[in-house]
Amino acid sequence: MTTPTQTALAATGTDHHPLAGQPMTGAEVVVQVLADEGCGVLFGYSGGAILPVYDAVFRYNAGHPQADGREPMPLVVPANEQGAGFMAAGYARASGRVGVAIVTSGPGATNMVTPIRDAMADSIPLVAICGQVPTSSLGSDAFQEAPVSNIMGACAKHVFLVTEAETLEATLRTAFEIARSGRPGPVVVDVPKNVQNAALRFDGASRLPIPGYRARLRAAENARLDDEACARFFAALAQAKRPLVYAGGGVVAAGAAPALRAFAEAFGLPVTTTLMGLGGFDTTHPQALHMLGMHGTAYANYAVEDCDFLLALGARFDDRVAGVPDKFAPGATFIAQVDIDPAEVGKVKPADWHHVGPLAAALERLTRYGQARGIRPPLDDWHAHVAALKRDHAMDYDRESPLIQPQAVIEAINRRTRGRAVVSTGVGQHQMWAAQYFDFREPRQWLTSGSMGTMGFGLPAAIGAQFARPDALVLDIDGDASIRMNLGELETVTTYGLPLKVVVLNNVGDGMVRQWQKLYFGHRFAASDKSLHRKDFIKAAEADGFAWARRLEDKAALEATIEDFLAFDGPAFLEVMIDPDAGVYPMVGPGATYAQMITGEFIASRGAVPVEAVEVPSTSMF
Amino acid sequence: MKHTLSILLQNESGALARVAGLFAARHCNIDALTVAATHDPSVSQLTLVLHGSAAVLEQIVRQTRKLVDVIDVNTLSLVGDDNAPLALATQP
Ligand SMILES: Cc1ncc(C[n+]2csc(CCOP(=O)(O)OP(=O)(O)O)c2C)c(N)n1
Ligand SMILES: [Mg+2]
Repeated sequence: MTTPTQTALAATGTDHHPLAGQPMTGAEVVVQVLADEGCGVLFGYSGGAILPVYDAVFRYNAGHPQADGREPMPLVVPANEQGAGFMAAGYARASGRVGVAIVTSGPGATNMVTPIRDAMADSIPLVAICGQVPTSSLGSDAFQEAPVSNIMGACAKHVFLVTEAETLEATLRTAFEIARSGRPGPVVVDVPKNVQNAALRFDGASRLPIPGYRARLRAAENARLDDEACARFFAALAQAKRPLVYAGGGVVAAGAAPALRAFAEAFGLPVTTTLMGLGGFDTTHPQALHMLGMHGTAYANYAVEDCDFLLALGARFDDRVAGVPDKFAPGATFIAQVDIDPAEVGKVKPADWHHVGPLAAALERLTRYGQARGIRPPLDDWHAHVAALKRDHAMDYDRESPLIQPQAVIEAINRRTRGRAVVSTGVGQHQMWAAQYFDFREPRQWLTSGSMGTMGFGLPAAIGAQFARPDALVLDIDGDASIRMNLGELETVTTYGLPLKVVVLNNVGDGMVRQWQKLYFGHRFAASDKSLHRKDFIKAAEADGFAWARRLEDKAALEATIEDFLAFDGPAFLEVMIDPDAGVYPMVGPGATYAQMITGEFIASRGAVPVEAVEVPSTSMF
Repeated sequence: MKHTLSILLQNESGALARVAGLFAARHCNIDALTVAATHDPSVSQLTLVLHGSAAVLEQIVRQTRKLVDVIDVNTLSLVGDDNAPLALATQP
């Protein structure tokens, strides 16, 4: 099974690459394919096993200056390869294009494992190119050798180890194809140093034969809803009195936000989105219920409890949404599901109707079908019910406290950015407050590590996003613990003169961990308190070249400080000392049902719901 | 219930490890595995035996079909409990 006999498909077709037939080294081939794939920026850290590629990037940039003198493919250098991976991911999430990271063998490659797994878990298209020891040394415990194909094979959408130089070009082109097609994901290409140095001839078009993958992809991408499927969908919808759309990250990945809006408006369907789906449906839209799930809005979660028809779009009933699948949307007598990945259909909850295919096309088809037949479900009662839920169970927090509440910080920023900023986050309470209290008008404005929940994601992801959208206001809403994980990247912000804005909501510790310890571990704060930590974040930011770096401790100065912070022309760093006891509510505890949701002191709950968290068996808790 | 999976696999570096790794990562025990050459040197044939419910089988087959090197997956299931008279059911 180890003989690599894959032969590249010969270049076919009439499109002739201008460089076809040119002699190139393997490293030059790598760079030319990157250019052909439209890479505007690369993120990476050099080292012995990747030096030929780095040299080829240097020569390419020197040889192809843009009209304004800038490099066509700048190589952005992080403090740590994990930073490069998250920058590439932030770039991909903010733009929809494939993010590219290039690292050396051994430790360079293993530092990429976390971002690769993170991208896999959130379906983000990346190509990571890793240097590797020469093929003659593979498996010999060579200096800086790591079994990248084994390690990454378990984490990525796919991994290639290029053992035959002649297949390098086809492999790289195929890596991009796999990363962006179907359900997107990260692809790792491990390139031994002798392959980078090989004398090759560029062909400009070759791809690897991956017949199984392409056949399945074609089947999914060409799948269209027929009249009969549409008829069954609308027959079920006609029976429903309380239909609800549950939209996930697939809406964003599929570019289906406009189609979703048209569909929801055509039939008057309320829409709630997952954490990953935020921005897939304008959160300020009258039909929007914002986020559902463990820390979803109370009104969205109540609407899930109350609905009798649920349409899941690019959403996978993950455990932060459907912690107890049997009791999720218990009144929904009909569940419909659309996804590009057949493995997600019915994986957690059986679907009564499903479609595997491109989401935008499916929604457009349903909209046309329904409109052509004048379908407009009579949902006035349901609309009134949903409006009442939004009014009676609105998000709220302790507005009277003398301490600065994190939610107030987000609200103050949001009043000025009006749902237009690009926002990245770390992981923890601050991430949930940001998800809950920001508006998101468009897709690709919300960059967060959803499935992996990787602390340290926020700062490098914001850097990558700023490269993708140089003119956008990019904000990193971070936690004091999360930002520590990749704090070295503060320097990357100023090195590249990025105008991004960093906010640290400092609650002196791992707030989310403390929240669970309060609820489930008798207030024993094992290793989550940071009051003995001595870091001065302002000095740290200043040391890394932030000209605007301030700490906010006085509630009365909140508005003016935020105003000044956002208006600063350049990188700015704001640390806000927040109420360390502020909690994230509502909360559907681990292993709990939506009926057991606790809403805290400031959000009205309905019915006989416990105010305190319910103990759930520890076996079902994570 | 016992199931037999027949997998056509591109003979790529690491391909077998990726199939085995998928089953391990998804907590699905492989009872038996054989690998055979086919008339096409770039394609291998895996025959894999596992046990589990129909739902477990369906999910692992769908996940296996997501592996890039996998050309095709077919299943052959022994319906009923292991000792009952055999009835064969094939799934595409
Ligand atoms: C890399 C990593 N390690 C550990 C965790 C577990 N974890 C989840 S939230 C959290 C605390 C985060 O603290 P902070 O960044 O200050 O955010 P806060 O909850 O205080 O807003 C921890 C340790 C994680 N998600 N990621
Ligand atoms: Mg904190």
